[in-house]
Amino acid sequence: MICELVKLEEVYRTKDGAVLQCNNKNCFWLEFAGNHTAFRVQDFLQFKKTVDQIDLEDMLIDSSRASDYTLLMPFRTQRCFLLDVTQLLALKEILQGAMFMLELNSLLKACLTDKPMVSHN
Amino acid sequence: MKDLIGLKTSIGEKIESALNAQIKVEAHSSSIYLAMASWCDYQGYDFSSDFFLEQADEERAHMMKIFHYVKNRGGKAVSPEVVNVPQDFESFRSVFEQALEQEMHVTKQFNNLADLCFKEKDFVTFQFLQWFLEEQVEEEYTMRRAIELFDVIGEEGTGAWDIDKHIPKITFDRG
Repeated sequence: MICELVKLEEVYRTKDGAVLQCNNKNCFWLEFAGNHTAFRVQDFLQFKKTVDQIDLEDMLIDSSRASDYTLLMPFRTQRCFLLDVTQLLALKEILQGAMFMLELNSLLKACLTDKPMVSHN
Repeated sequence: MKDLIGLKTSIGEKIESALNAQIKVEAHSSSIYLAMASWCDYQGYDFSSDFFLEQADEERAHMMKIFHYVKNRGGKAVSPEVVNVPQDFESFRSVFEQALEQEMHVTKQFNNLADLCFKEKDFVTFQFLQWFLEEQVEEEYTMRRAIELFDVIGEEGTGAWDIDKHIPKITFDRG
């Protein structure tokens, strides 16, 4: 997916990355770990769910070397993420923040388009 | 900013997750009833076996109803993984007692879902749940009536045989 970067709207940003929205292609861009990854809406929602389900406490308690990193391979992207706990925390923060802003945007849209009830009294 | 999430789906993340959890509960119920049908058949309770086969089909139909609802509203319905299905049961009576417990669990889950709909102000999903809430009244009634047969008829002598024969005759009057 190719989007003109100038036309991207910033949804949420932290010092570790950001989520951007492309209104032309109806997609999201994740800016993280030095790369940009495009997601279709449903894939973005699924990716967030996958990240949410990662048990960080479990990763910290487990002493095996394999549990130090988590491999994330989002579908329909040419990217894979190999992340440690700190990076996962940062990613979770970005995705949760973005989700909050997107929900807030939906709410605001709904409020602005709601027609006031007309009183005949 | 364009509402991309709203364009894709009409159900919120929490409601979608809760409905997918309910899909799993229904699938689990269906598998439990299938195991009960098999147990009853193995013990020679033919009518009860047919009764539980029918229950298993009903639960699967419930599961599919929720499954279709999630996808029709733009959500992602998840095909459930079913584990921990008991294959053996203590007694003829305990099968029905477990079935009632399962139905009570399902009712509780639907109540929680309805509560969540209110919290999230999702009255469309709440309306969708009405059918299930009504259905649960019948499901619990049927299982309770079945258990009562064990007290009314008694299992001594040909009692168990008689109880089995009466199971398909349980009917629910919606009034």
